[in-house]
Amino acid sequence: MSMLLKRPPARIAIGLVVPVLILFWWQAQSQAGGARALAFVPLGSVATAFAELAGSGQLLDDALATLSRAVTGLLLGGIAGVTLGVVMATSRLVDRLVGPLYHAIRQVPLLGWLPLIGLWLGNGDGAKLLIVSLAAFYPTVLNSYEGITHVEKRYLDVGRIYGFTSVQRFRLILLPAALPLILTGVTQALAFAWIATIGTEILLGSGSGLGAAMGLAQAQQRMDVILVAILVTALLGFTLNDLFARLRGHLLRWQGASA
Amino acid sequence: MMARPIPAFIPALAPPLLLIGAWQAASATGLFPAQVLVPPSEVMRTLASLAVNGELSAHLGQSLFRLVFGFAIGATAGLAFGAALALSKWIEALFSPLFLAVRQVPVLAFVPVLVLLLGIEEGFKITIVAVAAFFPVALATFDGVRGVPKAWFEVARVYRTPLVPFVARILVPATVPPVLTGLRIALTRAWLVLVAAELLAADSGIGQMMEMGRQMFRIDVVLAGVIVSGLIGFALDRGAKWIERRATRWRTA
Repeated sequence: MSMLLKRPPARIAIGLVVPVLILFWWQAQSQAGGARALAFVPLGSVATAFAELAGSGQLLDDALATLSRAVTGLLLGGIAGVTLGVVMATSRLVDRLVGPLYHAIRQVPLLGWLPLIGLWLGNGDGAKLLIVSLAAFYPTVLNSYEGITHVEKRYLDVGRIYGFTSVQRFRLILLPAALPLILTGVTQALAFAWIATIGTEILLGSGSGLGAAMGLAQAQQRMDVILVAILVTALLGFTLNDLFARLRGHLLRWQGASA
Repeated sequence: MMARPIPAFIPALAPPLLLIGAWQAASATGLFPAQVLVPPSEVMRTLASLAVNGELSAHLGQSLFRLVFGFAIGATAGLAFGAALALSKWIEALFSPLFLAVRQVPVLAFVPVLVLLLGIEEGFKITIVAVAAFFPVALATFDGVRGVPKAWFEVARVYRTPLVPFVARILVPATVPPVLTGLRIALTRAWLVLVAAELLAADSGIGQMMEMGRQMFRIDVVLAGVIVSGLIGFALDRGAKWIERRATRWRTA
């Protein structure tokens, strides 16, 4: 029996058993009628909704809006985060001054800022972008700080022997040595920014975006549209992560055998 | 260098105090309307009055009840699922593709689905907390059990160790550190998701208190909620880290 598990086609077939069973169960629920039919939409209507949304260009618009929000937030929050993390790690004064404040603010659940930011900025794109940037900011600060503070001392000693200026020291020693951890921070930031984008779009429910589409569909009780949006969200999230993992591998290719 | 170093907490306290001072001064100038900026003293007064009239503890009690209940369900399910996935090749082959696919979906994206399935009552909030807790715990348990060296299983087989002592004396101690880390991450995530769910749909809870404050332009109530949810988040993380350290003391000893 266990020989069966070693063959890839058999594995794929086995992996499909449970999802297919769930789909059958779902389809049966949808035909049972009554109150349940509202939530358990027939699978055919999910496909129809997908074709409809994709055909009208609505799906593409929402996907692009969500993607650009997530990427913009990642860039803003990531650049600010890496900068602050590096400065905190190289300057004791800044570390002492900003560190405690950073750790205090970080304790508030990210989306708990929404009511406050909503009061200040409304529920438009500004409020969403701020939350997404904040989501990307936290992990990049933490990881670039760790990355710089854990650079091996002997590398710095070599730099001193060569008489490096502080710019050279930063560019030739600190930055390359801290790069793996900085990129770990950016990887986490990407995941958090993606989650925050969908979350703020659902919660604020205005404008375009996959999360806003889900929120709207919830109000209209369109489970088929929700499922389409979730499917696209999952696929896009997976693709983003995968692309970034490749980029990270490319940037860290020098690590090769030593890592 | 003979001078005694300044204790670390004095410079650490300075920036928050400065910030609060500047905030108080800025709101005293009357430059900003009260809907935009209220002085910290006002926020503290609101916090105190919410605490005295019992409103705060009612909201907090509701939120913590949902958190504990949902977390217990999600974490238990995650532990069982993660362990089963790691121990049985068949269960892994059957469930891991589905598990990995569903994990790609941000937990908050399940909110609209669950609202349509369960409504916006308690069941929905407890379920979303359970879902949020399930994934990190299942993943950490899977990694933890998989991380147990194969040789230990073989030694147990050679000694014909019965299942119960094997689980209690080998499997559990070996997997406790990664699982506790997973539980801690799950707890923080569950709190985040709960606050978000309460913002969206609730009649009580810290999130709902903030959302009401927003709708009534009571920025003092909103800020009080921010402070309380931050303190809870901090306490949860610290508490979990403390347990983690206690439970893994033998490793460094």
